[in-house]
Amino acid sequence: MDLTHRFTVPTGVEETWAHFQDIASVAECFPGATVSSVEGVTFQGSCKVKLGPIALVYNGSGTFVEKDETAHTFVVDAKGKDKRGNGTAGAMVTCTMEDNAGATDVVVVTDLAITGKPAQFGRGVMQDVSDKLLGQFVMCLEKRLSPDETPVEVPAAEPAIDVSTSEGAASLEGSTAGKHSAPTPITSAPSAPRPVPAQEDDALDLGAAVLPILLKGYWKQGAIGLLVLAIIIKLVRRR
Amino acid sequence: MIPAQFDYLAPTTVEEALAALGEHGDEAKILAGGQSLLPVLRMRLNAPEVVIDLGKIDSLRGIRDDGDAIVIGAMTPHSVVEHDPLVEEHAGLIHLAVEHLADVQIRHRGTFGGALAHADPAGDLGAPALALGAQFVIQGPGGTRTVEADDFFVDLFETAIGEDEILTAVRVPKHTGWGSCYEKFVRVAHQWSIVAVAATVRMEGDTIAEARIGLTNMGSTALRARASEAALVGQPATEEGVAAAAAVAAEGTNPPSDLNGESAYRAHLATVLVRRAVLNAAGA
Repeated sequence: MDLTHRFTVPTGVEETWAHFQDIASVAECFPGATVSSVEGVTFQGSCKVKLGPIALVYNGSGTFVEKDETAHTFVVDAKGKDKRGNGTAGAMVTCTMEDNAGATDVVVVTDLAITGKPAQFGRGVMQDVSDKLLGQFVMCLEKRLSPDETPVEVPAAEPAIDVSTSEGAASLEGSTAGKHSAPTPITSAPSAPRPVPAQEDDALDLGAAVLPILLKGYWKQGAIGLLVLAIIIKLVRRR
Repeated sequence: MIPAQFDYLAPTTVEEALAALGEHGDEAKILAGGQSLLPVLRMRLNAPEVVIDLGKIDSLRGIRDDGDAIVIGAMTPHSVVEHDPLVEEHAGLIHLAVEHLADVQIRHRGTFGGALAHADPAGDLGAPALALGAQFVIQGPGGTRTVEADDFFVDLFETAIGEDEILTAVRVPKHTGWGSCYEKFVRVAHQWSIVAVAATVRMEGDTIAEARIGLTNMGSTALRARASEAALVGQPATEEGVAAAAAVAAEGTNPPSDLNGESAYRAHLATVLVRRAVLNAAGA
């Protein structure tokens, strides 16, 4: 699933680009994420995601797979696995920066792939939930890139969302962050790609889930049917 | 699967429960009827270190008459709400909705407050709560506060209840004499509805004086069909009178698309169900 977010920061392209080189700080902006180590272009970490009664912890890593200084584009490939075996989450984030008369237009395109146990709570709201998660991520990035702000001491698990920083400068697509300007820590905000299977997921999981159930439910009838068929065939052959 | 190991606490007063919640914070989960939490624990989609069971707190159970409203304790099982004469007389819409909620076994374990705090947009209690203008009594370490239904459902599975607070009761203003109807459209009985409409109307003769309509599964929370509500005022309770109002039922909603139907299908379904629900509620 592709999700796109855009925002504008008042700093120039070069400066904005330089800010994004700090992988750890970029990764920390993702709601509920903690970066445990950074090695070259790869970072290890975990991301805690909550939605109502469900809480999942994805452990994994992210890598800067592409970095184009001239075009000011980079791609991060992040993959994680739920620590209790409830599936995986993968995100391919492409970030492009463009000069806009001294300011910088940033476009973030994310290809999100979630696999795993289809949850009973799933009801096709994957788009909204992922959108919100990304909206928060982007707001945090934006906040970090704003020049007139003191370095934010952000505890990795609770990046603060301050809607007021986006006055004027930003045009966030699909952001529903307005509701969350209250002091709710991100980790408890409804932001889980987890409980709802992606469209691809449904197709996969149905096959995986339904076939065993059918077999389990109807193996006896199936077996009897085969037996009857075998007897009939034998009788017919004897004649 | 069985749940991951957890510590089980069963406080006997709300204060004890709040203290436990405050002490364990993020690692604790409140257990009400368990009909939503226990499957999650068993599937290990969550593994809290501490589970705080509110089942032994008697003050959270019961339904009483409070003058202009009835007060339903948060730990009151759905089956009790279903058969309560006060609810049937003064909050008919809740009585009708609870009858459709899951199945008999679940109604005996699940609690009224628990279902509302879970805030599933496809749950059957959200829409009636909005339509009746319920008030949610929430207790925390700082005291007790009341939140109006319109402000209570914040987002998908998220309510106005803080991390360190507990929903203790739901105050439902009396709607004695109002006509009610809960239209639930569902493919498999006991399932969450594809779309459901909770409508309650105040009649003046054959005219609809006031209407309040809640929508289930038309967005990330239960919603009110405000456009329809406004358009119904002064209309006769007939097919023609209600048609225009029903047609705008999906305004302001954001229905999900899933295996049961696309967003556009749900939007259309809402208009059909609103028409039926309002006409039934009006006794037409």
